Amino acid sequence: MPRSTVYNRTVKFAILLAALLPPLASAADPTLYALMSVTKEYVVGAKLPPSGLFRRDPTGWSHAAYNHPFLFGLDSDPADPSTLYLAAGNGLFRAAKNGENWTLLTGSDVTELRDVSIDQTTGAIYYGYSHGIRVSTDRGKTWREIGTTLHRKFTESIRVDRTKSGTLLAGGEEGVFRSTDNGATWKLAGAAGIQITHLAQSSHDACRWFATTYLAGLYTSSDCGKTFESVGPIGVGRNLYDIAFDPASPTRVAIAGWGPGIQISDDGGKTWQPRNLGLPTTEITAVIFDPAHPGRVYAGVHQEALYVSDDLGKTWRKDGLDGSSITRLKFVPEGPITR
Amino acid sequence: MKTLLALAFATLYMQVGLRAESPDFATRKLEIIDAYAHYPGPGDAGYAQIAAKLWHHEDPAWCSKRLEEILAAGPSGDMFWMYPVTAIAQLDQGQLTPSARQALKNSWKTYMPYRGDTENHFLLYYSTLYLMSQYWPTDGPETWFTGKSSADNMEEARQWIENWVKLTTTRGQGEYDSPHYMGVYLIPMSYLAGWAKDPAMKKRAQMMLEYLIADYAPENLEGLYVGAHARVYEDQLVERWKGVSSDFGWLWFGVGRRLPMPDNYVLYYSLASGYEPPEILKKIGTDRTAPYTHIERKRTRNRWRFYDDLHGPVYKTTYVRKEYAVGSDQGGTLQPIQEHSWDVTWSVPDPRGVQNTFFTVQPFSSIHELQTYFVFNPDPAIEGVVKSKKTYDSPDKLLGGSPHEKIFQDMDTVVALYDIPPGTRFPGINGFFSKDLTETREDPSGWIFMRAGDSTFIACKPLQTYEWKPIAGGGRRLFSPYPKNGVVVQVAAQAEYPDLAAFGRAILKLPLETSLEPTPRVRFRTLRGRNIDFTYGGVPSVNGTPTDYQHWPLFGGPFLEAAVDSERLVMKYGRMRRTLDFRTLNITDTLQ
Repeated sequence: MPRSTVYNRTVKFAILLAALLPPLASAADPTLYALMSVTKEYVVGAKLPPSGLFRRDPTGWSHAAYNHPFLFGLDSDPADPSTLYLAAGNGLFRAAKNGENWTLLTGSDVTELRDVSIDQTTGAIYYGYSHGIRVSTDRGKTWREIGTTLHRKFTESIRVDRTKSGTLLAGGEEGVFRSTDNGATWKLAGAAGIQITHLAQSSHDACRWFATTYLAGLYTSSDCGKTFESVGPIGVGRNLYDIAFDPASPTRVAIAGWGPGIQISDDGGKTWQPRNLGLPTTEITAVIFDPAHPGRVYAGVHQEALYVSDDLGKTWRKDGLDGSSITRLKFVPEGPITR
Repeated sequence: MKTLLALAFATLYMQVGLRAESPDFATRKLEIIDAYAHYPGPGDAGYAQIAAKLWHHEDPAWCSKRLEEILAAGPSGDMFWMYPVTAIAQLDQGQLTPSARQALKNSWKTYMPYRGDTENHFLLYYSTLYLMSQYWPTDGPETWFTGKSSADNMEEARQWIENWVKLTTTRGQGEYDSPHYMGVYLIPMSYLAGWAKDPAMKKRAQMMLEYLIADYAPENLEGLYVGAHARVYEDQLVERWKGVSSDFGWLWFGVGRRLPMPDNYVLYYSLASGYEPPEILKKIGTDRTAPYTHIERKRTRNRWRFYDDLHGPVYKTTYVRKEYAVGSDQGGTLQPIQEHSWDVTWSVPDPRGVQNTFFTVQPFSSIHELQTYFVFNPDPAIEGVVKSKKTYDSPDKLLGGSPHEKIFQDMDTVVALYDIPPGTRFPGINGFFSKDLTETREDPSGWIFMRAGDSTFIACKPLQTYEWKPIAGGGRRLFSPYPKNGVVVQVAAQAEYPDLAAFGRAILKLPLETSLEPTPRVRFRTLRGRNIDFTYGGVPSVNGTPTDYQHWPLFGGPFLEAAVDSERLVMKYGRMRRTLDFRTLNITDTLQ
């Protein structure tokens, strides 16, 4: 039987299955992963409660592979989304087989990785770490430093523009920097002198970006990351840690912060509504919308748990991961990315 | 010919010396191992007992059973787990049962130790990964938590270890002179010196052991690690004897008092190479017949943020004589959280329970400091630090560096100046006045005169008024709340003066000019007849000559010499010379 025929039949079966089963059990639904640690009593060298990479299955959360206290960044292989890449204290891990089979791809020359981003077109792997940015174009066999021209090297966030291979945005100690030549040169894009905690590109409009900061609130770009400007007073004086675009609404965006908690905007960031009623604290480090369930949003509450809301944050309930501090949440598609 | 004769003589001299000392050293080493091998409790026996028994070739059945029990409960401890189980593997030598050996092997696949964020973490991680990869040399990536083969693990580890040795012998140690953490540098080097098969790795490790012991030898006062430290715990800071350094001083040089139950650092050191220092180091470590000034250049910890250079220089000065030691760095936040920048430590007949030290600090606590040295998010940072370093965010703390503290030392005189900007979390300074100061007099001149034990007089002149606060457990804390501040400290041996009053009169005769605006400044003629001029933020001078920080060596003084970038250390004692050359991996002994 020709392979294309097999493929077509498989796809038809999957569509049929998706129509018959409830949403959570759908094979096409992306899988939610969480990077978290239970560190309330932990210091280096102490016994670490289950921490690291967790996967949300229909029945609940499961711990994938190793215990690790410091995982900060997560992305998936565009050719095989069951293969994840993890930016970790020990280095960059390839976590194949839905995160179960780990291989350390880096050596002794880098430490304390902060973020990872995969070029969805070329598969190039970028990570930001305590002293720069590196790229691999051979699936992690060799690495090249590309942050050498940055004045200060510490890189908290690195993102590849999903529509333009070789265009990168990096957030570090001195603002947002943009490179259009694979990191050979960098230009300050905005938030000069401000520490960046996270960068995110809109899933609806590739030219819309947001950057969260330490103390200086939220910054945004509407020109594909060339320039960033302050959104206004939201989060100023506090630290913001995460941004989420709602796949169901091009104008809805959420941020998570220490103090502001969860804030949701329905007008692209012009105005914000706090959505913290029912959360145990407003010390929130991670937020994400569920692409398969419009209205559903998750929030990682520091050293409490992961919370979920099915009404855009108006009410919350605990979803699991008790005692955790969540550093990143990500939905990973079950099949190859086609965009 | 002359040189050959000298070399032959030196070798003979040292062998005789070693032979004379080795029974004592061997006995001390055995005492440490036996403290674990025949540990009566309380508490369950752990890895240390297993390792010590295996060293003795005792009770292998119990060792196997207990090892399996512990591993079945689940490994923990990250790199602090790696070194005990590495010792057990190396000491096994056919004693363990196959199932115990298999359990140990499996644990290196199923448990992933965190590599850590300090130099000692990395050194423990890589030295043990190196040795275990050597132990299972042909294993593939599927058998390791790294997902790499033994060969790849070993190569990665070798690179890091060699780079660390090079960095340390060119720019100084980053986590320097810690009375506690010295142990976790000595363990890796002892392991590699004892168990590495590659002759170059083995030799390099042995040389680094000597380098580390040499680093400690001139800065110990009867086993107490004196002077400025990158890291120390507060209980060890005020009661100097409590440091792990007491174990090592006792083992290496037979000085001081070891801890009642020796720390496991000295145990694992002993179980591996158990390296006995050469005679020249024993002399340097114990001869306090003449006062001396010893200087060192070290390196800050990795500064991830806010600095253009990953490391900055640390300039240390330590003055040592048999009665006391005075030591300092230049001030600043050179290390996070546990830095100790200056003190006076006086000799006592028995240091156990004695707080034989004096110093001042600016109690500094800041997110900025933590963000400089750590990558974690700022909000939970201080809370996270306080979990293990209880006093970090406390205004009455006695430990930690401050960017608002500048220090200068000449011989046994210290000037510490403070210029604390508005908005600083804990403005003011703290002074530690021990419960064990025999006598303290507050002179109307503003000087405070102290009799410290039966050995030392200390004079301290605070530049601003102060008040006394009690310290839990005894002693007093001098608290002065003024942002522009400082102290002038002069130390002398009690043998130099008939009594405290005479010492005080001598101090009052010394010319002293102080000012606070625009920044604190001190001009002082010391008891040793030298004119110090030091302005906060400026380059201090002695007798009109500015201090030459540019040419500050890695080691300088009567006992050690090492230039920056040299990869070479010369030890000196009398006519004896011993040179460690890390470029060629050669040790040379000569007589001059």
